[in-house]
Amino acid sequence: MEFLSLISPLFLSLVIGGTFVGIIFGAIPGMTATMAVAVCLPLTFTLGLENGLALLLGLYVGGIAGGLVPAILLGIPGTPSSITSTFDGYPMALQGDGEKALRIGICASFVGGIVSLMALFFAAPYLAEFAIEFSYVEKFLIILFALTVMAALSKDMLLGIFSGFLGIFISLIGVYDISDGGNGKLRLVPPGTEYWLDSGFSLLPVLIGLFGLAAILEQAELGVPKGQSREDVKIGKSSSFSLSIFKGQFVNLLRSSGIGTFVGILPGVGGSAASILAYSQAKTFSKKSANFGKGEPTGLMASEAGNNGLTGGALVPLLSLGIPGDSTTALLIGAFTLQGIQVGPLFISDNPQTWNAMIFAMLVANIAMFTMMYFAIRYFALVVTIPKHVLFPIILMMCVIGAYTINYGIMFDVWTLLIFGIFGWLAVKLGLEIAPFIIGFILGPSAEIYFVKSLESFGDLTIFFTKSWIAIILWLLIAGSLIASIYLARHEKKVSKTV
Amino acid sequence: MGNLTEVSIDFQSSHLVFPTVIGCILAGLTLAILVTRRRQIAGAGTYWRRTLGDMDKTRLFGALALTVLYFTLMVPVGNIWPNTGLGFLICSVPYVLATGLLFMHDRDMRQILVMLVIALAGPTFVWWLFTEIFFLTLP
Repeated sequence: MEFLSLISPLFLSLVIGGTFVGIIFGAIPGMTATMAVAVCLPLTFTLGLENGLALLLGLYVGGIAGGLVPAILLGIPGTPSSITSTFDGYPMALQGDGEKALRIGICASFVGGIVSLMALFFAAPYLAEFAIEFSYVEKFLIILFALTVMAALSKDMLLGIFSGFLGIFISLIGVYDISDGGNGKLRLVPPGTEYWLDSGFSLLPVLIGLFGLAAILEQAELGVPKGQSREDVKIGKSSSFSLSIFKGQFVNLLRSSGIGTFVGILPGVGGSAASILAYSQAKTFSKKSANFGKGEPTGLMASEAGNNGLTGGALVPLLSLGIPGDSTTALLIGAFTLQGIQVGPLFISDNPQTWNAMIFAMLVANIAMFTMMYFAIRYFALVVTIPKHVLFPIILMMCVIGAYTINYGIMFDVWTLLIFGIFGWLAVKLGLEIAPFIIGFILGPSAEIYFVKSLESFGDLTIFFTKSWIAIILWLLIAGSLIASIYLARHEKKVSKTV
Repeated sequence: MGNLTEVSIDFQSSHLVFPTVIGCILAGLTLAILVTRRRQIAGAGTYWRRTLGDMDKTRLFGALALTVLYFTLMVPVGNIWPNTGLGFLICSVPYVLATGLLFMHDRDMRQILVMLVIALAGPTFVWWLFTEIFFLTLP
C-alpha cells in the first residue's frame, strides 16, 4: 500500500480533470481520445510520472466513453470505437429516448471499464513475469507477432503490412546507437540533413503530427463541418431510465466486456473491432436479434461494454511486453519516455508503486467517468455544439508546444510535426494504415537490436525457429493471427451488411 | 542447408543489416502492391481528380500555409526577446485568429469578436502556464 503516498489531491484532480477533458474530446466528432492524449502530453513533462499518467489515463478513459454522446444523439460516432453505438443508440434517440440511451451506454461503459481493469490487474504481472525469461529471439518474434496481428487486421492486409514495415524503416533513420550495442554509424540519412537527423525523428512529434495535425487537416479538407445546433441534439424527454433495464443482461455485459478486453490485449487492434465483435456476438445470442439496429438496448450495452473493455486490455501488452495495445496506448509510451522509463517485462517489478498508482488512476477515472456522465449527461450532450473553428486553432497551438518542448526546445521537432501531419493526412488517401505504421515506428529500433543481436550470438537464421518452444508457439500465433484476421474481416463485412 | 542459413555479421557494417532486410521486404511488398492493385493504380488519376475536386482547398491549403508561416516566424521573432517565449506568444495570437477565421463559416461581427478574444486569451494563458508555472522553454 506504499503507492497510497503517491495519491495526492493533485493526483486525484488530474485523473478527474483528465476524464472530464477526455469526455469532451470524445464527444466532439472528429476529435478522439488519441488526440486528447497527444495534445496533453507536454503537460506531463513537469508533472512527474505518476501524476502525468493520472492525467493521461483519465483522458483515455473519458475519451473512449465520450464517443457515445454523438453516436447516440447525432448518429455520428465521436470515436471510431463508438461505431456500433450508433446502430441502436441513434434509433432510440429518434424515438425520444436519447437520455435513456445515453444512461444505458454510460452504465455499460462503466462495467466494461471495470472488467478490463480487473483483467489488467491480474493478467499483466503474470505475462510480464513470463516475458522476463525471453531472449532476444523471442523478443523479436513478439514484435513480429504484434506487427502481424495489427497489419493483418487492417482494412487491407497487404497495405497494412507495408505500413508496419514502412514505420520500422523510418524509425531506423539516424545513428545505430552505441548504447544499444550498435556501432554508432549513420544510415538512411540524406546528405545535408545529418545535423537534424542524427538521432532520427523524435517519437512524440511524430505521434502528435499523426494524431493531432493530420486529423485537423482532414477536417480542413472537409471544410471544417459546422458544429451542431442545439436543435440537432436529440436528447429527448427527461429520463425514463431505470437500472431494471439491465435485468437479464449480466451475460451480455460480461461477454462484451470480455471481448473488448481480449481485443484490447491483441496488439494494435482498435476499439472499433472490439465493439463490432461484441455487438455481433450479442446479436447472435439475443432472443430479440430482429430488433437490433432499431433501438434495442441490448445492442447498445454490448457496444459500449465492448469498447470500454478495451481500455484496460490495451494496457496489458504495453505494461507487460512494452508493445502498445492501440494508438492511444502508443502515446502513453511517450509519457514514459519523457520520464526516462522504459516499459517492458521489468516495468511492473521495478516500479510497483507506479503500477499500483496506474491501476488506482484507472479505477478513479472509471468512477469519475460514470459519475460525471450519468449525472450531467444533459450538459455533456451540448458539447457537440462547440464550434470547431474555435477548438482547432487552439489544438494546433498545443501541438506546437508539445513538439517543441519534448527535447527542451528543438525547432526541428516542430517541423517533424508538420512533416508527419501531412504524411498522416496523405497516408489515409493512399490507403496506408496509421496504426501499424506507428507501432512499426515505435518498435523498429528494438526489433533491430533483437534481430541483429540474435544473429550475432547464434550466427544462424534457423535460430528464430529452433531457439525454444516459446519461439515455435509464437510462430504458430503469427500464423493463427493471419488466419483469424481473415475470418474476422469476413465476419465484420457480414455484420455491416446485415445491420 | 546449414551453410545456407548461416550468417556472419561484421560489426563495422552492422548498422546496415536490419535496414537492408527491411528495405528488401518493403521492395517486395511494393512489387506485390503494384501487381495486385494495378487496376486501381492505373485509375488513380480519376480518384485524385475527384478527391481534389471535393476538397475545400481554401481551408486546407490556407491552414497549411498559415502553419508554415507560423513555424517559420516563431524563432526569428523569439530571437528578438530571447528566453522569454514571446516568439511563441506574438506569433500564436495572429495564427489562432487567422486559422479560426479561416475555419469559421458565418463570419459576422459577433463571431469575429469572440474569435479575437479567444485568440488573445488562449495563447496568453498557455504562454503563462508553460513559461511561468511549468518553466518550459518556448521559442
